[in-house]
Amino acid sequence: MDFLSFIPKTKDCDFDRIKRAQESMANRRATICPERAEIITEVYKRTEGEPQIIRKAKAFAEILERMTIYLEDDMLIFGNQASANFAAPVFPEYSFDWVIEELDAFASRTGDSFDISEDTKARLRKLEKYWIGKTHKDEVNRNLPKVNLLAEKQGVLHKGGISMSGDGHIIPNHEFVLEVGYGGVKKIALEKLKSNELDEEQRSFYQAVVIAMDGALTYIKRFSSLAAKLANEERDDKRRKELEQISEMCRDYMEGGARNFYEAVETVYLTHLLMMIESNGHSFSFGRFDQYIYPYYRRDLEEGRLTKEKALEIITHFFIMTNSINKVRPWDHTQYSCGYPLYSNLMVGGMKSDGTDGTNDISYLCLEAMNLSRLPEPNLSVRFWEQTPHSLLLDSARLIRKGFGMPSVFCDEVVIPAMMTLDLDLETARDYASMGCVETAIPGKWGHRATGMTYINFGKVFELVLNNGVDPASGIQLIRLNGKEGREVSYHTYEELWSAWKRALKYYFDLAVQCDLVCDRSLKFHDADPFASSLIDCSLERGKTLKNGGAKYDYVSQSNIGPSTVGDSLAAVKKLVFDEKVLTMDELKKALDSNFEGEEGARIRQLCRKAPKFGNDDDYVDHIVADVYESYLELLPGYRTDRAGRGPIGCGYTMSTSNITSYVPNGFDVGATPDGRLAGKPLNEGASPCLGADREGPTAVMNSMSKLPNDKIAGGQLLNMRFYPGALEGDDNLEKFTSFIKTGRLKKIFHNQFNIVDSKVLKAAKENPEEYPDLMVRVAGYCALFNTLMPEAQDAIIERTEHSW
Amino acid sequence: MEGLISKIQRYSTKDGPGLRTTVFLIGCNLSCLWCANPELIAPGEKYLYYRERCVGCGKCVSVAADNSITLTEKGCVIDRSRCSNLKECASSCYYDAYEKVGYAMTASDLCEKLKRDKDFYDQSGGGVTFSGGEPALQPEFVMETAKLLRREGIHTALETAGLIKKDRMRELIQQIDLVLYDIKAMDSKMHLACTGVDNRVILDNAMMTAEMNIPMIIRLIVVPGYNDDKNDFYNRLQFIKRMGKAVKQIDILKYHRLGEGKYLRLGLENRVSIEEPSNEYISEYVQMAREMGFEPTIGG
Repeated sequence: MDFLSFIPKTKDCDFDRIKRAQESMANRRATICPERAEIITEVYKRTEGEPQIIRKAKAFAEILERMTIYLEDDMLIFGNQASANFAAPVFPEYSFDWVIEELDAFASRTGDSFDISEDTKARLRKLEKYWIGKTHKDEVNRNLPKVNLLAEKQGVLHKGGISMSGDGHIIPNHEFVLEVGYGGVKKIALEKLKSNELDEEQRSFYQAVVIAMDGALTYIKRFSSLAAKLANEERDDKRRKELEQISEMCRDYMEGGARNFYEAVETVYLTHLLMMIESNGHSFSFGRFDQYIYPYYRRDLEEGRLTKEKALEIITHFFIMTNSINKVRPWDHTQYSCGYPLYSNLMVGGMKSDGTDGTNDISYLCLEAMNLSRLPEPNLSVRFWEQTPHSLLLDSARLIRKGFGMPSVFCDEVVIPAMMTLDLDLETARDYASMGCVETAIPGKWGHRATGMTYINFGKVFELVLNNGVDPASGIQLIRLNGKEGREVSYHTYEELWSAWKRALKYYFDLAVQCDLVCDRSLKFHDADPFASSLIDCSLERGKTLKNGGAKYDYVSQSNIGPSTVGDSLAAVKKLVFDEKVLTMDELKKALDSNFEGEEGARIRQLCRKAPKFGNDDDYVDHIVADVYESYLELLPGYRTDRAGRGPIGCGYTMSTSNITSYVPNGFDVGATPDGRLAGKPLNEGASPCLGADREGPTAVMNSMSKLPNDKIAGGQLLNMRFYPGALEGDDNLEKFTSFIKTGRLKKIFHNQFNIVDSKVLKAAKENPEEYPDLMVRVAGYCALFNTLMPEAQDAIIERTEHSW
Repeated sequence: MEGLISKIQRYSTKDGPGLRTTVFLIGCNLSCLWCANPELIAPGEKYLYYRERCVGCGKCVSVAADNSITLTEKGCVIDRSRCSNLKECASSCYYDAYEKVGYAMTASDLCEKLKRDKDFYDQSGGGVTFSGGEPALQPEFVMETAKLLRREGIHTALETAGLIKKDRMRELIQQIDLVLYDIKAMDSKMHLACTGVDNRVILDNAMMTAEMNIPMIIRLIVVPGYNDDKNDFYNRLQFIKRMGKAVKQIDILKYHRLGEGKYLRLGLENRVSIEEPSNEYISEYVQMAREMGFEPTIGG
């Protein structure tokens, strides 16, 4: 086995079994399961007129009682989301029209395809009629102002998941669940119901919690019978004992708290799974797994009931099983989030709330487990700071070197101050964890949806600025920057241009907040989630769902796409038109309109491309990009969420550059930009430099990033870098790479993730260099950006790669 | 004080310890047959022509004096001996088919730029490496920059073949924290044939550097059929042995072909065209070094 640093001392971890499970999970096929949709439709028909949260709870409980259950072969972790591995359940209560429309297309999608049987299609079609006009999506569409629809048509706004699916984006208080169990949560709700001072909302909430927890406990007991039955049929002694253990455990498991390490890990998985049966949000995350699991591990270890090897096996099975869960999205949303992502973040390492370092055995074992499981979920992240042991970072670098992009790293010295810009005290801020991609939250205390509310296409807003608010493609004009109708607008100074940008951004930010509110108010009703809500601090106390103000803290952020594209474009205009006057605004606009066509277009595009670009440690443009961030940040204090005044601390907005793959489809909508980008090409990803822009290597990228207001971006700041595997080869290069990561602390890098790419990518990079701008390769005595090399040198490296690596 | 440099390479990992920024200087007084950086040999600015970026618009053809550029099926063919205004031709191109190599920079501007990665140097035990070309041919510029860097607490390294006057060399390396010293052959005839110059000054300066006890990394390139004679390699190792404690490490560098395309782009003839040596081939040299008590690294 190829470990990072682990040396097995006992045979308690069956690595062959892990390998088999890993292979089988890696080759899983996505399908669609109709069971959940059928059961919830029946329950909803039966419960019309009852409070919504009761209907949701009853549906949840009945799904858990009736759905097909099975145990994955030879796995220690159990619990299934739908009738088969990687089958996506359907959630008609959120939106259903697209499911029916796309039934025949699921299997033939070019990405994220789903096999679907004719039987399943027929079963789903039968349900269609009931849901017409009744879903969350219908509610959103009824309430969304017309102007928002026009802004969507312009390509500026995108509603995203919040307009048609559940919310997700929470980290349950796992510590609490492990301590009291589902039975304990139920008891608290029953206790609350004894009070005479409950209002209707509270009474319904507590009743719903009782129903939901009963459902969860019933589901667990079903596994007791199933495991007993399978144990009887099992011929292998070891497996039979495991099945007997599961059967025995499930007789009363979760009536109270977790009794040992195995149950603790199983509980974390099960809670995650149950939330994803209750609702179809995504980014349900695990928080600081090493912190809350460690006490169970240590106690079992000390009492001789567990070995490190067994712990590794259990964690690895857990990691593998998180990949059995699935979600189906409409095709237009899939383009924004390719690759069946669930964004189940799991975090290890970092400072504890008392200011000491929290790294422990589990932190290392999670890295080893990921090295063994090598699957997309969980999305593993590592926190680090000054006191993080070098060995943890070295193991992280070893894992990064394996080339599948995990773990991503978060720097405490940047994130903690960023969290404190919200109303958090130091101790609380120190306990942050990542949720989803790079969004940050305080585990167990944070309401739904830290980020990814309405998407604002910054690139498009900038294009509108150059056209007096008119979208050249659709002709729609919602704002007149110079007070007149039509595209004609002239800016005589950079300051005029900048103030137009700020006006336009504010205009669309208002619309985006409007959209957030419409979606939130509808989710409050349709996403009333007693199970998940009761696992976040204050919901049980207040008798409220998260969407109605149950959480202790409540902050949201939108998703902003293309800040570097806008900054680079502003810098090009400033330099070429206003500072050096080598171009007039008219010449530039003409060239943009024609997508830089012809000789004149080529001349202007060259000037544009040679203008300063973010990512090269060039203060001129880096400060302009920072201004773009500030222009958004300064708007935030003026806005409140729907929960303001209902209990949570905050209820305001923060900023995030987590925007998954939206920079690609958002780019489709934006014409040529003054940074030299051609029409339809991608915008920049997250906070990373524009494609093709960073030519000075990774240290320069970090230096540029360090000039952004990273410690004000509490919603998560995304930097993605690509390195060639050779750049990390050998102990010496690994150490150097580790120092590079560590330097991020001094450079105020919020978060960093790395792609270590193979020869296939190199070949593609050679064909389409613009798409692989920051690919770094090891050449001869040094590392260089792949695109700066001669084609022959590129060929030589591609050839060498195939032979040596 | 200005120097002529071709490129500043950040995140360099093999030009000394830690993460480094390598500054490539233009001009070299050796002319190694296998040189991978031919654009850095002759002094002055140069222009590389990239056929794959050329759209065949003919702009440079019309600008070129004396019909010195012709548009053919193979892109633009440049008669460099006749082209008296290549600079103008190059800057007339809107598609970046021409790339200028070489720009002047003052020591203080260079230092300002190099300083920007100081946190990375400090964290990794790295610094700045002057390479080329032959950086020792611009000694005042390198010294001034190195002094400025030293003031900033930045570690410096000089990668050199050592062919400069002894006094200059002494003066230069006193400002430097680590010398990466190339020894390409011991036999003076072989050295002359491969590099175009005699090696006596090179060896003298190597010994002097060692005697001054400036930390050194010796770099030994092996090019099959040119300088790979086992006896000669053995003699190189013997010589290094005599240099004593100053030598901290030896790097055995494998010949590679990554510079081949540059010859074409510069309109120069590529003088060595052989296969890259295998790992087995190089391991014999590594073994030889080990037998003499060295722990060589394999670079390149």
